[in-house]
Amino acid sequence: MSALARLSIIIDKVNTFIGNLCAIFAFSMVIVVFTVVVLRYGFNIGFIWMQEVYVWLHSFVFMLGAGFTYLANEHVRIDVFYRDASKKYKAIVDLLGNIVLLLPFLYIIWKYSYPFVYRSFLMNEVSREAGGMPALFILKSAILWFCLVLFLQVISNICKSLLILSNSSLRLSSENNKK
Amino acid sequence: MISPEVLSIIMFLTTLGLLLFGFPVAFTLAGSALIFGFLGDALEIFNFRMIGFFPQRIFGTMINEPLVAVPLFIFMGIMLEKTKIAAGLLNSIGELFGTTKGGLGIGVVIVGMLLAASTGIVGATVVTMGMLSLPSMMKAGYDQKIATGTICAAGTLGQIIPPSIVLVLLATILQGANEEAAMLVGDLAPEPVTAIDLFAGAIMPGLMLVVLFIIFIFFYARINPLSCPPVETSKSRNEIYFEAAKSIIPPITLIILVLGSILFGIATPTESASVGAVGAAIIAFMKGELNYKNLKETALGTVKLSSFVFVILIGASMFSLVFRGFGGDEMIEHFLGSLPGGLYGALILVMVVIFLLGFFLDYIEIIFVIVPLVGPILIANGADPLWLGILISLNLQTSFLTPPFGFSLFFLRGVAPNEIQTRNMYRGVIPFIGIQILAIFIVGFFPEIATWLPDKMF
Repeated sequence: MSALARLSIIIDKVNTFIGNLCAIFAFSMVIVVFTVVVLRYGFNIGFIWMQEVYVWLHSFVFMLGAGFTYLANEHVRIDVFYRDASKKYKAIVDLLGNIVLLLPFLYIIWKYSYPFVYRSFLMNEVSREAGGMPALFILKSAILWFCLVLFLQVISNICKSLLILSNSSLRLSSENNKK
Repeated sequence: MISPEVLSIIMFLTTLGLLLFGFPVAFTLAGSALIFGFLGDALEIFNFRMIGFFPQRIFGTMINEPLVAVPLFIFMGIMLEKTKIAAGLLNSIGELFGTTKGGLGIGVVIVGMLLAASTGIVGATVVTMGMLSLPSMMKAGYDQKIATGTICAAGTLGQIIPPSIVLVLLATILQGANEEAAMLVGDLAPEPVTAIDLFAGAIMPGLMLVVLFIIFIFFYARINPLSCPPVETSKSRNEIYFEAAKSIIPPITLIILVLGSILFGIATPTESASVGAVGAAIIAFMKGELNYKNLKETALGTVKLSSFVFVILIGASMFSLVFRGFGGDEMIEHFLGSLPGGLYGALILVMVVIFLLGFFLDYIEIIFVIVPLVGPILIANGADPLWLGILISLNLQTSFLTPPFGFSLFFLRGVAPNEIQTRNMYRGVIPFIGIQILAIFIVGFFPEIATWLPDKMF
C-alpha cells in the first residue's frame, strides 16, 4: 500500500515542479507582451518572433500546467452533489472518471497527435510568418506534454482514490471484527 | 437501427447526467464524447477517423493570439487583489454613501462596478465584499436578504463590464459562429466579431444594470427603511471625500489606461491586458505589496485559472466534434429554424434554455458547448452577433446567482458568518435575478443599447 502512496507523492512533486515552471512562463509572458507594447508604441519597432514567443509561452502555460491544475483540484466540477459527498463517494467518482473518461481521452489525443508532431519535426516546419519562430514542432509537442502531465496526475489520483477506498474498507472490516 | 439524431440527443443528455457526478467538466465532456464516438463508429453513423482533426483543433486554440488576453487579464486581476485596493474602496465608498438609507448597499454596487472594470474576477470580488462589507452591513442593522443579495449581484458585474474574460472567450466563439452563419447564407465576407466590439457593446448594458441595481436598492430602502438603515460616522465630510478620492484614483487610472486604449482602438485587448498587468504590479509596488510571495502566488494562480479555462475549451471541442459528426448541429438548426415566431421565437427558446442550464452549469461550459451549437443559426436568421453576444452574457450572469450551483452564492457562503442563513441568501438574490431578466428584455427590445457605442467607434 505504501508503494501507492510513495508513487503518488513523487508524481505530485513532479507536477508541482512543472507548475512552478509554468508560473515562470506566465510571468515571462506578461513581460514579453509588455515589451512588445513598449517597443511598438514607444519606438515603433516590432518583431514577429517576439509576438510568437508570447503565444508559445501562453500555450505552454495552460498545456503543461494542466497536470498541476488537476493536482490542485482546480479543474472545475459541477459539485452540486460532489461538494458535500462522503470521501468514499468522491474516491469512487474520481477512480471511475479517471479510468473510463480521462485515460481513453489522453490515449486518443496521444495517438493522433504523435504523427501530427512528428510530421512537423520531419518537415522541420517553421512559422508561416516571415521572421517568425523556428522549430514549430516544439510548440506542437505541447499537446504531447499535455497528455503526459495529465497521465502522471491520473496515476497519482488513482493511487489516492485506491488508498482512500482501501482505508475505508479496512476500517469497515476492523469494525466488523470488533462486533 | 438507431438514427444519428437520436444518438446525438442521448449523447447530450448522458453527458449532462455524467457531469452531475462531479468529475471535472473538461474530462467528462471529452471522455463522454469519445465513448459515443466509438459507439457511433460501431453503428456506422460516425467515422472515428474524424478524431484525426482534433490535434489541429487544439493547435488552433494554442496559437489563437487574442486568447492570450485571458491569462493576462487573470494576472492583472489576481495582482490587483493582492494590492487590497478593494478593501480601501469598500471602506471609503461605504462611508461616502453610508449616511443615507440604503447607502451602504449602493456603495457596494458602485465598488462592484469599479472592481468589475479593473479586476473582473467574480469570485474574488464576492469574497472580498463578503468579508468586508457584509459585517459592516450587518452591524448597521441591514436585513440579511438585501445585504447578501446586493453583494452577490454586485460581484457578478465583472462578467459584463469590460474588460471581462467572459467577453474575450465569447468573442472567439461568436466569431466562429459568425463565419458558419455566413456560409449558411452565402455571405463571402462577414464582418468579424472581435473582443473589442463586445467590450464596447457591453459598456452601456453594464452601466444600465448598475443603475437598475441602485434604483432597486434606493426604493427598497424607502419602502422598508428598517432593512437598510443609515450609518453614523464621526469623520468630517472633507475627510471622507479625501479618503474616497485617494482610494479611487489608482483603479480609475488603470481602468482608463486599459479600457481607454482598447476602446479608442489604440491597442488590442492582449496588449492592453499586459499594460494592465504591469500597472497592477506598479500599484502593488506603491502599496508595498510587490514581493516574491505575492508574485509567485499571482503567477501560480494565473497558471491554474487559465489552464482550467482552456482545458474546458479542449474538452468542449472534442464534444462538439463528435456531436456534429452525428449531425446534432443540423438537427438543432432545423429545430430552431422551424419554430413559430422566426428569429424571436428561436432566440427566446435559446435564452430560456441557457437560463435553465445556468442552474447547473457554469458560464464557461455554456459558452463553449451551447453557443457554438445555437450561434450560427441565430446569426444566419438575422441576429446581430454583437447583440446576441451581449444578450448571452447578460443571461450568463444569472447563472452566478441561481442556486444550487451559483458561483456567487457559493463564494459568499464560504465567507459569510454562520448566522447568515443560506435560505436568506437564496431569497435575497431573487429580486436581482429579476432585474437581470428585465435587463435582458430591455436590450432585447432595444438592440441599440448594445450596438450604439461600437457603431459610433468604428
